[in-house]
Amino acid sequence: MKRAHNVYKSQKLIRIMLEYDEAENTINQITIAGDFFLYPEEALETLEASLIGIRLDRETLKQEIDNCLKNSEVYGFDSTSLTEAILGCKT
Amino acid sequence: MSTIRFSKIRVLETGYNNAAFNMAIDEALIENIGDAPILRIYGWRPGAVSIGYFQSIQEEVDLEKCSKIGVDVVRRLTGGGAVLHEFELTYSFITKQYPQNIMESYSWICEAIVVSINRLGFDASFIPLNDIVVKGKKVSGSAQTRRKGVLLQHGTVLLGVDVDKMFCVLKVPSEKLKDKIIKDVKERVTSLSGITFEEMASSLKSSFATKFDAKLLADAMSTDEIIRASWLAERKYRSREWNFRR
Repeated sequence: MKRAHNVYKSQKLIRIMLEYDEAENTINQITIAGDFFLYPEEALETLEASLIGIRLDRETLKQEIDNCLKNSEVYGFDSTSLTEAILGCKT
Repeated sequence: MSTIRFSKIRVLETGYNNAAFNMAIDEALIENIGDAPILRIYGWRPGAVSIGYFQSIQEEVDLEKCSKIGVDVVRRLTGGGAVLHEFELTYSFITKQYPQNIMESYSWICEAIVVSINRLGFDASFIPLNDIVVKGKKVSGSAQTRRKGVLLQHGTVLLGVDVDKMFCVLKVPSEKLKDKIIKDVKERVTSLSGITFEEMASSLKSSFATKFDAKLLADAMSTDEIIRASWLAERKYRSREWNFRR
């Protein structure tokens, strides 16, 4: 298991704290923080939970984020920038 | 634009309070709101940093420095960024009737704030999503949440600004870029200098009354509201569990 973090500037600042399985390339634990707005707010915890076990590849991540936030309104990032913020933890 | 009107607005001028109690009052009012919307006007004593609902307290705030200079720290119910509350008027508007569209609801409330600033001789305008600027510089920021059919929007109107102190208590994403970030903020943020808290409060009340075609009902918090706010301040807004949840 590897721990990493990344700060990514989208319209707002996104801070990712990630624990991932290097061999499997999957997420073990993730915290997404930042000065964005998300309605309803609880959607962020649902998103973090849904990302556990997800493979760290661009298409899978974006699809999961889009699916999870489809009934939410986000101001400050989108699924593409959040995907890049997460993948940035590996570089 | 929404045509929602109110027959009356309950006005609560709750004075200066510490950070935990200030945020607890907002939550207690959300829980207890009646038919009339509430306009609350308040300040912070001691000065305080509030962080957005989704922010990491340890990443955003120099907690040691805050403790040393006596600045409170609290997590808000609302999103957005960290704010140092010191030389400002803070308002909360709490209502059960509001435009469902988020962009529209920000604009709906911020329009009253723009008018209140302009009545004092400035030329303010609203910049979506949540900023008000004078001559291109930010003088007011707001944030909102919706809980069980109730909208809370709270925000600041800057009456003074101390950017150096702000960055004494707030962390920056890059220490290497700290000087540039401070310079940028100094160029982007201003205040309604020369305006007192009382003048701003008076203008704000008049503007809300006009905007919503409502009578203002000056009121005080009920005993139940104070008891509930005290409980929330102690059990939630002063708790490590809440403030360090991210």
